[in-house]
Amino acid sequence: MMLSRIADSLFWIGRYMERADNTARILDVNYHMLLEQPPDTYKLRWDPLIAITGERTRFYQRFDEANAHTAFDYLGYSEDNPNSIAQCIILARENARTIRDRISRELWEDINGLYHKINKLRDEGEGLSRFCDAVKRGGHRFHGVCDATLARDEGWHFLLAGCALERAEMTARILDVHYHQLVEGPEILNEARSHAWVAVLKSVAAYEFYKRQHSHIEPNHVAQLLLLDPRHPRSVRFNLGVLQNSLHAISGSVPGSYANEAERLTGRAHESLTYDSIDEIFTGGLHDYLEEMQATCRTIGAHISQTYLYYAVS
Amino acid sequence: MSSPTQALLGIHIRPDVGGRPLFEGYDPGTFYDEFVGPDGTPRPESAAMHDILAAMPLDVFEERRQLADLSYLVQGITFTVYSDGRGTERLFPFDLVPRIIPRNEWDVIEKGLAQRVMALNFYLQDIYGKQRILKDKVIPRQLVQSCKHFRREMMGLNVPRDIYVHICGTDLVRDSRTGEYLVLEDNARSPSGISYVLENRLVMRRTFARAFEVSEVMPVDHYPNELGKILRSLSPRSGDRPVVVLLTPGLYNSAYFEHCFLAQEMGIELVEGRDLVVVDDVVYMKTIHGLTRVDVIYRRVDDDFLDPLAFRADSLVGVPGLMNAYRAGNIALANAVGTGVADDKAIYAFVPDFIRYYLREEPILKNVDTYLCSRPDHLSYVLDHLSELVVKAVGESGGYGMLMGPSADKKTIEDFRARLKADPRNYIAQPVIPLSRCPSFDPATGMMSPRHIDLRPYCLYDGEKVTIVPGGLTRVALQKGSLVVNSSQGGGSKDTWVLRGNEEGIEA
Repeated sequence: MMLSRIADSLFWIGRYMERADNTARILDVNYHMLLEQPPDTYKLRWDPLIAITGERTRFYQRFDEANAHTAFDYLGYSEDNPNSIAQCIILARENARTIRDRISRELWEDINGLYHKINKLRDEGEGLSRFCDAVKRGGHRFHGVCDATLARDEGWHFLLAGCALERAEMTARILDVHYHQLVEGPEILNEARSHAWVAVLKSVAAYEFYKRQHSHIEPNHVAQLLLLDPRHPRSVRFNLGVLQNSLHAISGSVPGSYANEAERLTGRAHESLTYDSIDEIFTGGLHDYLEEMQATCRTIGAHISQTYLYYAVS
Repeated sequence: MSSPTQALLGIHIRPDVGGRPLFEGYDPGTFYDEFVGPDGTPRPESAAMHDILAAMPLDVFEERRQLADLSYLVQGITFTVYSDGRGTERLFPFDLVPRIIPRNEWDVIEKGLAQRVMALNFYLQDIYGKQRILKDKVIPRQLVQSCKHFRREMMGLNVPRDIYVHICGTDLVRDSRTGEYLVLEDNARSPSGISYVLENRLVMRRTFARAFEVSEVMPVDHYPNELGKILRSLSPRSGDRPVVVLLTPGLYNSAYFEHCFLAQEMGIELVEGRDLVVVDDVVYMKTIHGLTRVDVIYRRVDDDFLDPLAFRADSLVGVPGLMNAYRAGNIALANAVGTGVADDKAIYAFVPDFIRYYLREEPILKNVDTYLCSRPDHLSYVLDHLSELVVKAVGESGGYGMLMGPSADKKTIEDFRARLKADPRNYIAQPVIPLSRCPSFDPATGMMSPRHIDLRPYCLYDGEKVTIVPGGLTRVALQKGSLVVNSSQGGGSKDTWVLRGNEEGIEA
């Protein structure tokens, strides 16, 4: 027996923790990459980050330009940005607090500890690098504590579904924004192109995995890995597989069938990622493909909500 | 050397404190001190703990104190203060010196409280039933029916097993002049604080394990189990395992931590109003796979907000239709609706009469003398002595709406004078009781100082007998000289120990 509200909270704890973690990763990798780049390209390289988080409009209402300071300010702590890392952690903690009787004490204390930790870093004026490090470590610990202390019931699958859906959408967006910038962007960025692709791979922790398979950095290989590789835990395909599995566990429907619209759309997207080749995707246009994938993720989220969390009672 | 958690939150021990003995220069003063006698030597029941503390260097004590605070912070055991309009989380300060009660004293308290809780239940059953006590003129009808918390909707409604007050938190104080325990007020609606009793014990056991080896402290952690048993026994459906839930107003309620804690300890669902729905006078909760029937609600939502169709229409935390389900006998509520007519501060003055009337016994625990401002003779006395008295609004709790005559300025006193004249029924007055004190650590001076305390034991009534976990919540007024112990007014808490001792009790 699981209350809809509790399932909702677990789903969003997963999403917010994942969002905080992903934002910290892209912020951190970009910062370190730029330490060795010519300063006149800074602006061009910070802007995509703001785009990835979907916050461009609000950002430029506040700041004239995107640089390490404004990006950190806005994506790290800002209260005006509902998707800033600090806000995500606050919301994850609020959700955990409302259901603390349903999660392990360890999980609550872990999320609560992370909240106090980032407050402390802010109060001490700690810089981007140590802040992102704390959030990333927090993300790893979160997954570890969940794995080691939560019962594998329906709640577990809502949490997992939240993480997987968020991660799938985030990876698709990271790829989309960078591809657009690096392949179709201004000439000035060309010389540092492979550095930038390395940064993208590092931001999703896929650099070492990539290097084992390819000696050169090629955009289509990077896209292949991030989109279609079933082995890497941050690829879109991998995460839609996790999502599909959890949705089936919740509804009890057998593989190959679906019990609701969320399952149907997840299954269809997963099929496409399994059987489409990267060349086909490029032929049809990578950007369109990624846009549609992100839209599908949003629709799946809406259907999960309608089916399990906010249904009407007659 | 620091532990990972210490490092995480940055605990620093003040370098200047050194090894000064904690009780150096401790002066119990003229008030009754729960820990040491008038000559400054520890009372027999406190001797073991006193020796442990007295031998402990200040820096060691300070480290333990900070670790204890840290454990509350890490667990998020905080309450919310709304003074700044935004609601900030604060730790409820915990003082490491326990309040120790010898067994013979506890036996008296226990019997006195049991008697009181039984009488309150008989009274409520009577008021919402035949009203014999009004016909016999033991208490004025007008006083009862003018109570803010009297619920006409409850007249003639049969509550499960005739229990109205399942959980009662009664505030006791010890009068320094006589050494006697007095009842200060009853909390028969949704008393809070039991989670602190259980957590304080947990922290104390970890912090002063050795003290528990040498003192025979009676356990408290069976409370959730006892409460769970009573709640399950109320189910209107027979047979299979009843579905019991705890209804909370939500995250922003100051007692939210406690709601989570109790739900978890009892293994019941913690629900908010929006999780419940009433269909054809039956209460259900919304789950991911549809509706599940609910049998018993341990509600921590006030009457006013319980059902927007029956009470306040603007309530967002209630369940529309709940009162209809209650009237139809399809749901049990604990505590029952309308129990506020028993813990109203004006009704309080009559509780000793209830005990005589319903139980034909003399009250074991005395009340504090109380002036009812609704009585003209009392009102005129109160108005003449405002600067000596404590004035309380009858329907309020938590230390709000209160005048402390001796420490109030002229303007506040005049303000209360006007309020009393305008609405006398809404006020009572009591003499200031010189509360007993207990040593408490003052972080500002790094010394033990005597601070005033009260005691709130938690009584559970199952329709036949009253169960009380030994001890309760000792609240301490941490400000020097203050007599106000409420958490919202700068109070803290202590672990309360009842020692096993001799069961025969008083004159053994």
